[in-house]
Amino acid sequence: VTAGPRGVLAATVLSLALGGCAALTAPTEPGAGRAPIARDPLAARHRQQAEALERDGQLRRAAEEWKIVLTITPRDARAREALSALQAKIARTVAERIDEGRKALARGVQVEARRKFLAALALDPTSRAAFDALQSDTREVEFVTYTVRAGDTLSALAQRYYGDRSRSEVIWETNQLPPNPRLTPGTTLKIPEIPGVPFVHPEARRPAPAVAAVPTPDVPRPGPAPGPVPAAPGGKEEFTSEVNPLLAEAREALERSDYGDALGSVDKFLAGKPGDREGLTLKKQALYGQAKSQMDARQYRESIQSLILLTRLQPDYEDAPALLKQARARNIEQHYTQGVRFYREEKLKEAIAEWRVVLEMDPTHANARRNIDQAEKLLRGLEQRMKK
Amino acid sequence: MNRSARGRALVLAGSALLLGACASAAPAPGPGGGPAPTRPGPRPAAYESEDFIVTFAQPGDTPDTLAARFLGGADKAWMIEDYTGLRAFSPGQEVVIPKRPWNPAGVTPGGYQIVPILTYHNLGEHAKGRLVLAAASFREQMQYLKTNGYRVVSLADFVEFTRLGRQLPQKAVVLTFDDGYRAFKDYAYPVLKDLGFTATLFIYTDWVGAGRGALTWNDLRALAADGFDIEAHTKTHADLRRAHGETDAQYARRMHAELEQPEELFNRNLGRRSQILAYPYGRWDEGLLPKVKEYGYVAAFSVRRQGNASFVRPLAGHRSQIYSEMTLDDFVKNLNVFQEENLR
Repeated sequence: VTAGPRGVLAATVLSLALGGCAALTAPTEPGAGRAPIARDPLAARHRQQAEALERDGQLRRAAEEWKIVLTITPRDARAREALSALQAKIARTVAERIDEGRKALARGVQVEARRKFLAALALDPTSRAAFDALQSDTREVEFVTYTVRAGDTLSALAQRYYGDRSRSEVIWETNQLPPNPRLTPGTTLKIPEIPGVPFVHPEARRPAPAVAAVPTPDVPRPGPAPGPVPAAPGGKEEFTSEVNPLLAEAREALERSDYGDALGSVDKFLAGKPGDREGLTLKKQALYGQAKSQMDARQYRESIQSLILLTRLQPDYEDAPALLKQARARNIEQHYTQGVRFYREEKLKEAIAEWRVVLEMDPTHANARRNIDQAEKLLRGLEQRMKK
Repeated sequence: MNRSARGRALVLAGSALLLGACASAAPAPGPGGGPAPTRPGPRPAAYESEDFIVTFAQPGDTPDTLAARFLGGADKAWMIEDYTGLRAFSPGQEVVIPKRPWNPAGVTPGGYQIVPILTYHNLGEHAKGRLVLAAASFREQMQYLKTNGYRVVSLADFVEFTRLGRQLPQKAVVLTFDDGYRAFKDYAYPVLKDLGFTATLFIYTDWVGAGRGALTWNDLRALAADGFDIEAHTKTHADLRRAHGETDAQYARRMHAELEQPEELFNRNLGRRSQILAYPYGRWDEGLLPKVKEYGYVAAFSVRRQGNASFVRPLAGHRSQIYSEMTLDDFVKNLNVFQEENLR
């Protein structure tokens, strides 16, 4: 039994047409003859990403993308130029940040110095100068000064500031207290920020607390300028405004990365207090976290939805615009690959449906269009043969 | 099989191959053998430079298999997971693999990495007091780390991290056990071996072999040979800060006993000295640091309940004690691995 001439013909046509797009990614064996053109579309995707990241100011990640471009097409002179220009820019910026950090240290402004050195490291995480300055010359993190009132315990204070009673040890250690200390009303305690733990500042009345209430990625830490004194003025710190339970719930949910829960609580809170700054900050954090975890779980469609909500609240939140772009690209890729998988399983109609989704999201996706044409042609051929 | 079905199968077999290449999908058919003919498995195609490898996942590829293939060992899987942000790949998916560490400081524009160092004391069949943790709770906690993608790293690797000398996995955690209880052998060791976790034991030398509840030097030698790290926790487990009214001479004598004598015992029994110290009761002050340094320690740890950035002062490292009364939720609160901060 033979396939029949039509089948052979169809296969030939298909191979011709799709052969063209095989150049998309089919890589050569390492060391085999390198034909830069064949790999170009793959490199092009990384080039686009590099350019987008650079435009977005994410210089280090942009440099990495250029290196990936050069991994794929080592003789791409334009990429090489772009990379060295970018590296020079990074080096300049890092030197500037370190210089600013040193000047801040000289002025005795620890908080600013720390931020500058950290910013230098964020750009170049191998910068020995920034690292050493941060490690050796920059003192502890920020803290608030708290005046003890009758009935206070370390655990209660830890619960209030960190949402975690067991962090009382940090207050105990910072203040070098004796074992089982009795707190004397009127004395003061330093309550430090703890990296990685949301600092729940109970002074909700002040819109911009000296110490960021929750580590908010979008609000820069206070600089030194108008002197945000961490200590409450005159030690008259008051705890009359307890934290709203809904917000506390949201924060707690955020802490355990339960973004759905966090959004539920914060939305309830915002329903009663629309536009509340703290609420919105939390909401943005939750949406961002949710989008990221959805990305990790490869739920790109859901991630896109979260990111759209987020960018509606704040268009330039963190790297949300870049993430959104990435989620969209991955979503397209996922559908495209799924189409290919269906195709290989001989599920032509399903394959066509997947590629149509791709075209809906990216009407310029030439491969999807070509594949649909081929699959449809094949389908028609098969149907005709079935009729015979 | 009727004619048209066969014909169709053949047509698709031919086209699947080409389309497969087109989508950069795996060259071989999926499990169960799709319509595409099996091709003799060529070495996976990959682009490589000094910084990166760009390749395409094959069916069944995981970060482990990719790390084994391209980075020389599955223990480097974290590099692929952390760089791509993915723990699973579909066949044909492009995978960018960093060939070398790309962020030794763990600082990014969105914040910085912090490494939790957990501290355990005694364990038992059942919890007793704060510091005897029930074996079942311990297993549950370790299992949690495994299931949730935490990577247990050695304390030595952490110390390198604080010198900008080693990038750690994003979800790195260090495990430490204080004092040197025999229960470590009975309850912690089997769990750790089971899960492939390493740990550091901080021992105070007066306690070694001091009774039925204590590990002996023989035990410690065997543990060291088995990949566990043994470090110093002084001689007598006394607060190392200068006591009120202690003279210079008295303090110097005491420091010598607490910081130097254990080293002699380490040398004699384990063939090496310790360079890492756990402060008894977690207590230290600025006055103590030069002393500790003078006796050759390069890192030392309190029990201040917080994680450590790479740029923490190595002689003022933090550890978080795990108490027997903690629920799993309480335990998890000690596992923050990132401080968000806008550093752009």
